[in-house]
Amino acid sequence: MTDRQFIGKPTNRVDALEKVMGTARYTADYYLPGMLISRCLRSKVPHARIISIDTSEARQIPGVHAVITCDDFIDHGRFGFPIVDMYMLAYQRVRYVGDPIAAVAAENEESLQAALKAIKVELEPLPGLFDPRQALSPDAPLVGEKPRDAEGYPHGNLLIDYIVRQNDPDAVWKECDLVLDKEYTTMHQEHAYIETEASLAVPWPKSSGVTVYACCQSPFLAKNNIIQTVGLGSEDVRVIQPYVGGAFGGKDDTMYQTIAQTAKLALISGRPVKMVFSREESMISSYKRDAMIMHYKIGAKKDGTLMACQFHGIVDSGAYAAITPFTAWRSTIHAMGPYRYQACSVDTDVVYTNNGFAGAFRGFGNTEVCFASELAVDEIAYRLNMDPIDLRLKNCLRPGDTTSHGQKLGDDVALAECLQQVRKLSDWDRKRKEFEQGDPARIHPGELRKGIGVAAVFHGMSLGAEGKDSAVGTLRINDDNTLTLTSGLTDYGSGSRTVFTLIAAETLGINPSRIHMLRPDTDTAIDSGPTVASRATVLGGNATQVTAMRLDAILLNAAADLFHCQIVDILRDGENYIGPNEEPASFDKVVDHARQMGLTLSTEGRWNAPENHWSFESGTGKPYFAYHFGAQVAEVLVDTGTGKVEVTGYWGVHNTGTVIFPQGILGQLYGGITQGLGYALMERVDFDKGFIQATNFDEYIIPTAMDVPEIVGAFVEKPFSDGPYGAKNIAEPSLVPAAPAIINAIFHATGRRIQNLPANLERVLIGKDLRKEGSNTACKLGLHQV
Amino acid sequence: MIFDLIVNEEPIHTEAPADISLLHFLRDHLKLTGTKEGCNVGECGACSVLLDGKLVNSCLILAAQANGRRVVTIEGIHAEDGGPNDLQQAFIEYGAVQCGFCIPGMVLAGEALLNSNINPTRAEIREAIAGNLCRCTGYQQIVDAIQATALKRQEKGRRD
Repeated sequence: MTDRQFIGKPTNRVDALEKVMGTARYTADYYLPGMLISRCLRSKVPHARIISIDTSEARQIPGVHAVITCDDFIDHGRFGFPIVDMYMLAYQRVRYVGDPIAAVAAENEESLQAALKAIKVELEPLPGLFDPRQALSPDAPLVGEKPRDAEGYPHGNLLIDYIVRQNDPDAVWKECDLVLDKEYTTMHQEHAYIETEASLAVPWPKSSGVTVYACCQSPFLAKNNIIQTVGLGSEDVRVIQPYVGGAFGGKDDTMYQTIAQTAKLALISGRPVKMVFSREESMISSYKRDAMIMHYKIGAKKDGTLMACQFHGIVDSGAYAAITPFTAWRSTIHAMGPYRYQACSVDTDVVYTNNGFAGAFRGFGNTEVCFASELAVDEIAYRLNMDPIDLRLKNCLRPGDTTSHGQKLGDDVALAECLQQVRKLSDWDRKRKEFEQGDPARIHPGELRKGIGVAAVFHGMSLGAEGKDSAVGTLRINDDNTLTLTSGLTDYGSGSRTVFTLIAAETLGINPSRIHMLRPDTDTAIDSGPTVASRATVLGGNATQVTAMRLDAILLNAAADLFHCQIVDILRDGENYIGPNEEPASFDKVVDHARQMGLTLSTEGRWNAPENHWSFESGTGKPYFAYHFGAQVAEVLVDTGTGKVEVTGYWGVHNTGTVIFPQGILGQLYGGITQGLGYALMERVDFDKGFIQATNFDEYIIPTAMDVPEIVGAFVEKPFSDGPYGAKNIAEPSLVPAAPAIINAIFHATGRRIQNLPANLERVLIGKDLRKEGSNTACKLGLHQV
Repeated sequence: MIFDLIVNEEPIHTEAPADISLLHFLRDHLKLTGTKEGCNVGECGACSVLLDGKLVNSCLILAAQANGRRVVTIEGIHAEDGGPNDLQQAFIEYGAVQCGFCIPGMVLAGEALLNSNINPTRAEIREAIAGNLCRCTGYQQIVDAIQATALKRQEKGRRD
């Protein structure tokens, strides 16, 4: 659309200035008079019963103002969503290394450390469960809360299970010319937001209430958790989200614990209480992307037609459910990939272990299954001597197709276009020929080999059938004719504040610089559900558009009154309103007239997502109202002497609908691909008997500027009818296909298919991992780190 | 102990513990919170500052080592009118900023590079910021911003 003034035009991020000047204040940057510092005492064992906790000595230490345990919270601080199984501080058991047991607030570091040492915790060790494959065997230790069943099976270790059913794959295998049967594994991934967890709680006079500044995913969830576990009324809690230094899904449950702990400590001490995690504490205690074991059986015809897909996945949720029931549901829904099958059956079991705990991470369960299914489909293409893009084009979902869930797709689907564009952009056909297919038997060690690989993705939009899906935005014209915009959805770097500002400006026909968007604050914004699942642009964008349209209608009424004409006779020219006699009235004049008419110049708009439905019993339904599609190509250079993989080129084409904030959407794409590159090649969270092996960036390696190639991004802007100005989401799907594209490129280069992430030197070089036994030293040391 | 040093062109004379790191000295004592703590082991670069013009991780340096020397933090980088300088403006215009937590360190790494190499290649820019981790951007727009600033400064150099 060429008549748009702001949407799709080059724009600067609304909060970039304060970030480049260093004046943007993140939670840890607040220093208040009389402020106390705080920290948790955390479990140094993976599984134990708590016999007793004695804090009396710690409380006597000079400078210590408050020491709390689970007993200081209502119902021991029990919380969690969708499954309630966590505590603000451990109750009865510790279930992973890093589980918080007690929290201390003190005037200075010396008193704080002395108090943490003086807390006496008596623990009775319990056997740990570290292998998710063993979680359901009769002799497995019981980690979950439900008891064993009559046969002695650890019923409590099965958190939840899901299915998808479409016909019966067993009836189809005999029609297939090729049946691939493979197991793939992915590891935990650390979010590695550069800002660690931080919360600052400020008590109100006489501890009548509390204001918390914290870098959490959802201020509203944080507030509800405080209300329920600390026992304050809704009007007595305010949660404000300052600038957030990255989240990627990682600032949910761990942050809600931290927020409730600091709120309680502040209320007891009557002083502001700040808690900031060290990197070690962050890596040990925060949740990760879940690790998955995935078994695929996929059948195809000689001509490349995919026939049937059977999947069984085991998800390691670790010690708590957190949001893993939802990520695993997303894994289940996306396990078959963006392809048509005649039959499909998916089974996912989510189990408890004592390996830390897992939760939300950008990609949200799709990252794992996309890795595995895109490797499987790629292998089928190679075995059938077909071009991997041709095979995908032959089978990919197209407009009007029905998915394996029984959902009929709309005309927004553009995966074929994405595949064709990425093929052209990456010069795929020429490079496929030029980089001769690797054969392990014929490669001379030390030879440098090039390869190119592809992966496709579909990603259900927003929450899907996980829950009710709506968002609210508000607008207000201030006395100086600037506008204040709020949304219940937050921006931890993704750029949604800019997107919402542009949508409001476009809808109202005013300059974006007039609009100031408030930071998320439970006192000024309206709960819009969590900012997860790449839902900000579509949900929050639509809500912003609805509220802006309402305000626009009020102003048009005022302009019609001013011009003594009908609303339909009014035109706009920039910010000006033009009446039937072509007399212009400025925005300010129309606003002043609206005030004189006594009109209220504030609006609120809600947008409800279209209905979804899912039958957990039959494994069919309409899981998401729509899907994002995309395709990415990676080019690699593999040193066959060392196993070193360099990603030398990268192309991503995504079906995003209308692009609203061009520079922002590219940033999301580049950043997502970079996280996927790390997941593919270097990021590694090992648990050894429950002890995490990497506790800081010296061992947990994330990509630097030298590890990332120049990335070429393009967007298929097929307008999406349910999106604001036709826009779809981008945040998660940009990351999801990166790892399989890279691993498929390594296969092209070397002939070696790496089925376990990450593809480190030894897996690339000799096809197996040489990692030795781990140790618990770093982890224990990390818990002492300040 | 008593610390005497120049921070952002301003003489500082203050007392702090002898074993305090430069990072915590800047943040806790001078309240210069633009310098961020990301790892405290010198891996992430969020705490980057210039010490006598050289890029250092302030978490790895004792404040005592900076005694008598010149420190420049992000608060000391700006145009004459206090607004963004050309590099900071380029970060804004090229979309180099997402969450912003690594950005003060990135700007200082960029300044340190451009002080020693006015005509860097993209590979040289990538190498110069390899000690600064960013989890949001994938670095590409940061490289764009530094490269664009280098070209502008070269042009300006030719004109002057």
